[in-house]
Amino acid sequence: MSAQAAAFAAGAHAGSRGLWMLAWLRFCRDRVGLVSLIVVAAYFAVVAASGMGWIADEWSKEVGVSYAPPGAMGPDASSAAPAGAAPQARAEVAQDDSGIADPIAGEIAEIRKGLAGISPSETRAATLPFGGDKWGRDVLQKAVKGTQTSVLVGLAAALLAAFLGTLFGAQAGYHGGWVDDFFNWFYSVFTSIPYLLLILAIAAVLNQKGTGTVILILGLTGWTGIFRLVRAEYMKHKVREYVRAADVIGASDARRMFAHILPNVSHVVLVQLSLHVVLFIKSEVVLSFLGFGVGVDTVSWGSMLNEAQNELILGKWWQLAAATAAMAVLVTAFSLLTDALRDALDPRIK
Amino acid sequence: MLAYVVRRLWQFVPTMIGVVLLVFFLFSWVGGDPAYLLAGKVSNPEQIENIRRQLGVDQPYTAQLWIFVKQIASGDFGASWSTNEKVSEILATRLGPSLTVLVPLLVISTILAMAAAMLVAYVRASITDRAIMIGCTVGQSISILVYIIVSQYVLAYQFGWFPVQGWGNDFSENLLRYSVLPVIVGVIVSLAPDVRLYRSFFLEEMHQDYVRTARAKGLSETRVMWVHVLRNAAIPIVTNVMIQLPGLLVGAFLIERFFSIPGIGREVILAVERSDFPVLKAVTVYVAIATMIVNLVADLLYKAIDPRVELE
Amino acid sequence: MTSSGESTVLLAVRDLAIDFRIDRKTTLTAVRGVSFDIPCRGTVALVGESGSGKSATALAILGLLPEETATVRPGSRIFYADRNLLEITPRELRALRGTGISMVFQEPMSSLNPVFSVGFQLGEVLTKRLRVPARRARARAIELLREVGIPQPESRIGAYPYELSGGQQQRVMIAMAIACEPKLLIADEPTTGLDTTVQKQILELIAGLQRRRQMSMLFITHDLALVAEIADHVVVMRDGEIREQGTVRQIFETPRDPYTRALLACRPPLARRPRRLPVIDDFPRRPPAGVLDVPERSRGLLGNEEIVLEVRHLAKSFRLRDGLFRKREFKAVKDASFKLARGKTLGLVGESGSGKTTLGLLLVRLHKASSGEALFEGKDLLSMPPKTAMNYKRRIQIVFQNPYASLNPRFTVGQILIEPMKIHAIGAGDQERRVLACDLLEKVGLPQASFGRYPHEFSGGQRQRIAIARCLTMKPEVLICDESVSALDVSVQAQLLNLLQDLQDEYRMSYIFISHDLCVVRYMADEVAVMCEGEIVEAGDSDEIYSNPRHPYTKTLLSSIPRAWRS
Repeated sequence: MSAQAAAFAAGAHAGSRGLWMLAWLRFCRDRVGLVSLIVVAAYFAVVAASGMGWIADEWSKEVGVSYAPPGAMGPDASSAAPAGAAPQARAEVAQDDSGIADPIAGEIAEIRKGLAGISPSETRAATLPFGGDKWGRDVLQKAVKGTQTSVLVGLAAALLAAFLGTLFGAQAGYHGGWVDDFFNWFYSVFTSIPYLLLILAIAAVLNQKGTGTVILILGLTGWTGIFRLVRAEYMKHKVREYVRAADVIGASDARRMFAHILPNVSHVVLVQLSLHVVLFIKSEVVLSFLGFGVGVDTVSWGSMLNEAQNELILGKWWQLAAATAAMAVLVTAFSLLTDALRDALDPRIK
Repeated sequence: MLAYVVRRLWQFVPTMIGVVLLVFFLFSWVGGDPAYLLAGKVSNPEQIENIRRQLGVDQPYTAQLWIFVKQIASGDFGASWSTNEKVSEILATRLGPSLTVLVPLLVISTILAMAAAMLVAYVRASITDRAIMIGCTVGQSISILVYIIVSQYVLAYQFGWFPVQGWGNDFSENLLRYSVLPVIVGVIVSLAPDVRLYRSFFLEEMHQDYVRTARAKGLSETRVMWVHVLRNAAIPIVTNVMIQLPGLLVGAFLIERFFSIPGIGREVILAVERSDFPVLKAVTVYVAIATMIVNLVADLLYKAIDPRVELE
Repeated sequence: MTSSGESTVLLAVRDLAIDFRIDRKTTLTAVRGVSFDIPCRGTVALVGESGSGKSATALAILGLLPEETATVRPGSRIFYADRNLLEITPRELRALRGTGISMVFQEPMSSLNPVFSVGFQLGEVLTKRLRVPARRARARAIELLREVGIPQPESRIGAYPYELSGGQQQRVMIAMAIACEPKLLIADEPTTGLDTTVQKQILELIAGLQRRRQMSMLFITHDLALVAEIADHVVVMRDGEIREQGTVRQIFETPRDPYTRALLACRPPLARRPRRLPVIDDFPRRPPAGVLDVPERSRGLLGNEEIVLEVRHLAKSFRLRDGLFRKREFKAVKDASFKLARGKTLGLVGESGSGKTTLGLLLVRLHKASSGEALFEGKDLLSMPPKTAMNYKRRIQIVFQNPYASLNPRFTVGQILIEPMKIHAIGAGDQERRVLACDLLEKVGLPQASFGRYPHEFSGGQRQRIAIARCLTMKPEVLICDESVSALDVSVQAQLLNLLQDLQDEYRMSYIFISHDLCVVRYMADEVAVMCEGEIVEAGDSDEIYSNPRHPYTKTLLSSIPRAWRS
C-alpha cells in the first residue's frame, strides 16, 4: 500500500458529475422547460395552500348573487340590490299569473329565497373577481379548490400506477420465463378492454364516488403503459455487458435488479410518471363531469364544467373560462415540462 | 404465416378466460347485489327476493359464472335492466351510428395528421415548427369537454351552421348533416396529439442512414421524403392507428352523448348511470374480443408493410 | 503534395475547415484546414483514427454533412471540374451526386432502406438519374449485381436488405454507387465491421472496379495496412489536421511524422514479437534511435507446465422456434476441448459466428452449457450449484469487448471497483478497500482522481483499464479477454496489450485471448486454437500454426491478412 494511494483515498470526489447532475444542467439550459417547472411549482404551492386550508377554504359559501358577473364587467342589471328583493319578487310572482292574484305568493317567495340561501338581512356581492356560479359561490375559489382536487388525484394515481407498473415490469423483464408469461397474460387481459370502458365499468360497479375511489380506479388501471416500457427496458439492460459483468463478479439477482438496472431505468419512469399525471388529470375531469368521479360536496374542474354547460346557454361564461384556463395552463406547463425532462434525460437530435 | 395465425388464435384463449374472469369478478362480486339498486325505494324483502331470482343472482357464484359463459357463447345476454330491450339488439342497432361518425373521423384525422406532421418535420427547428408544436401542446391541454361545449354553443347555437344535436333515420342525412359537427370536433381533438406523435416518427426516420444514402444517390428531396421516409414512417403510424381503433369505439362516448347520437358509447354511459350491468358486461366482452382480433390483424398488416418482421 | 499539374487533378480540397455544434455553448472543430488533391484515375487513402475528421471531410465533398449541427467555415474550397462545390446551387450539387461523385458508406445494413428491395433501390438510380426505362433498368441492375459479385442476381434482385449478409449488402451499395459511372468514388470505411475474409474480397472488388472503369477513388480507413494494397497516395490525419501525405512508398518506407511512424509501428507485427509494443508517446518529434530494437519475447509451451483449466467436450446449442410446434437447434459450440497452462495465453481465433465468444461466456457461466465440463482444480465449474460456484467466481474473470457498455454508467469508478470486494469480503473495511482500489488504479495506469469520476468521463481505452482493474480486485487466476482490444484504436490497443502483458508477468495469470485479429493473437498467445462454426478446427503452438497452417480454413484466414503486415 503506497502512502500516496492512502492519501488520495481519503480525498476522492473532486467536482465530478454524475448523469443526474448532467441532466439537471442540460435541463436548466432549456428556458421553456424552466418556465414550465416554475409554473408547475406554483400550482403545487397553490394546491398545498389550499389543502392546508389557507386559501379557498370557504368556497362553498354563497357570497355573491346568483350568476354574479366578474368584477371587470360590472354588476348585472337584473340582480338588483338585495334590499328591494323581497317585495320585487312578490310583485313579479303576482304578475306571472294570468291576472289571478296568488294569496301565498309572498310566502313562497320567502321560502324560495331561504332555500337559495338569501336571507334578507345578509348583503351579497353584486360582482365577484371571477364571477359567481348559480348559487353565488365564488368561481375563483372554486377554481382553486378544483385545482387541488384534480392535481392531487392526478398525482396520487400516477404514483400508484408508476409503482405498480415498475414493480411488475421489473419482475417480468428481468426474470423472463413463466414470470414474464404470467404478467403478460395479466397485461393482455387489462389492455383488451379499452381504458375508458374499464374505468367506467369499475365506476359503475363501485357505485361510490369520492376522491379515494377515483385515485384507486385510475391507478389500478393505468399501470399498463409503464409496465410495458419498464419490462422492455429491463429486457434490454439484462443482456448489457455491465449487468453481465455484475453477474460474473458474483452480484445477486436482487442486487442486479435494483442496484444496477433500476438507476438506469428510472429516467424512463420519471418521464412516464409526468405523462400519466396529465393523462389522469384529464380522465378525472371527464369522470367528474359525468358524475362518476369525486363526491358531490367536492369541487373539481369536471364538476365546474358540468355546471358551465348549462350556464353557457344563459350567456354566463365565466365558470367555463375559469375551469378551462386553470386546466389549460397546468396541462400545457406539465406537457412542456415532460418534453424538457425527456430532452434533458435522453438527449437526441431534435 | 398460417402457423403464426393459428398460434395467435390459440393465445386468445387464456386472455379470453382472463377477461371473462375479470368482468365476472367486477360485476358479480364487486358489483354486489344489484337488487337493492333496482328495487329503488321499495324495500319489501319479498320483492327484492323476486328480483334476485329473476336476475339469477341468488345462485352460487360458480353457477352464475357458467351462465355468463353460456351467454357469451350464444351471444344472448338477456335484457337490459332498465329498458328491458334485448341487449344483443341494443348493441346491434347502436353500432351503425357509431361507425357513421367514427369512420370518417378516423380517415380524415389520420390523413390530416400525417400531412401536417410531415410538413412540420420537414421544416423542423424553424419558427413554423415551434409555433405549431406549441399550438398542439396548448390545444391538447384543453379538455375535450370544452371543445364540445364551445363548438356546440358557437357553431351550432349562435351561428346555426349545424344542428346542435340529434340524429335522423336516413343514412345520407345522418352522414352529411348530423355527423359533420361531431366529426369536426373529433378531428380537432385528435389532431394535436397525433401530429406530435407522427412528427416524432418522421423525425426519427429522417435521421436514419438510408436517407443519407438516398441523398448521396442524387435523388430529389421530394422523392427522399415522399417515397423513402414516408414508407418507413408509415409502419409505426399504421400500428398506432390500429391500436387506437378499439378504444375509439367507446372513447367517442362523450361526442355521442353531447350530440345525442344513439351509438355504443352513449349506450355505455347510460348503462353506467343506470347500473345496467348486462349491457356493460356485453359491451366489455365484445370490445375485448374485437381488440384481440384487431391486434392480430394489426400484426399481420405490420408484416405486410415491414419486410424485416419475421412472424415466428 | 504530389499533384503534377492541374489538368490531372480531379478534385482539389483547399483549407477545408468544419465545425460541429454540440449544444448551445460548445462547438467542436472536427477539421482544421485540410488540403489535398485527388488525381484522375488515382486512389488516395485518407487514414486516421476515430475523431481524426476523415469522415467529415468526405461528407463535405458531397454536401452530406448534417445541416443542423455542421458548418463549413468560409474560406474552405473544394474544386471539381473548375467549380467550387461549396458554392454551387443545391440543384447542381444534386446533379453531381451519383453521376460525377458517388459514395459508399460504412454500415451497409443501416445505409440501405430496409423496406425496399435491392432491385428497387438499385433501379431507382437508373430510372431517376439516367432516365433509363423500367425494363432496361431491371436488366441493367442484374448486370450490375453480377459485376459486383452477387451470386444468382436474377433471383437476388427481389431480396430485401436484411436477407443479405454484410458482405453482400456492401456489394449492393457498391453497385448503386457505380451504376451511373461516376468519375470519383468515395468509400468511407467500407470494410470495417466485416469479417476478415470478406474484407479481402470487397477490397479486391473495389480495386478491380476502379481499374476497369478508370475511376478515381478516395478510400477512408483507420487501418494503414489496407492502404498498401490499393492506394497510390496516402493522407494521414489526426485531430482534424493532416500530419503527412505522400505516395505509399514514401509513407511506408520513410515516414517523417512521428504520428505516422507510431501508426506503422504500433501494430503487432507478424514476423517478430517485441517484448513491448511501441506506443505513440514513444515517438518524439525527432526520429528516435533504436526504439524498435526491443528484445523479442519467446512464446510457446514446453509441455511441463501446470494445467490450471481443462475444458473437455464443451458444447452449447440454442433452441429456436421453427414453425408451429417444432424447435430448431442452433449449435453455437460443438465439442470444444483444450488445456490452459498457468501463466500462459491461449488465443482463440475465428470470424463472427464461429462460437468463440459463446465459448468464453460458457466458461464464466453466463450461458448454461449443453454438455461437457470445465475442470478447475479437478472440479467441474459448469455443473456446480450456484452457491459453490460463488467461491470460484473470483478466480476466473472476463473483460468484455465494448468499453462503453461494460461499466454501469451510474456508478463511480470507486463504486465499480469496491463492489466485487464487498461481495467477496476482500479487505477489512471501507478504508482498506479504498486504498486497494486506488492501488489498482495506479497499476492500470489511471490517475488517482479517477476514483470519484463517472465512466462517461473516460475514453474507450481508459474504460477498458477500469474493467481490467475491476477484475484484478479479485486476483483471478484465469482472465478471459473477449475481444477486449478490438474496439480500440491502434495506438490505444498497443497500450492495452502492453498493460495486459505486464499484468500477466506480475500476477502469473492465465489468459484466454479471444479475437478475430490474427496479428494481435499471434503477438499475445502461446497457443492458438482456430474456431470455425463452433468447432476447433486446428490448435497448437502459435508460431507453428502461423508458419505451417494445416487446416484449409486456417490457411484462408491467414492469407487474408493484408500484405503490409506480413513482411
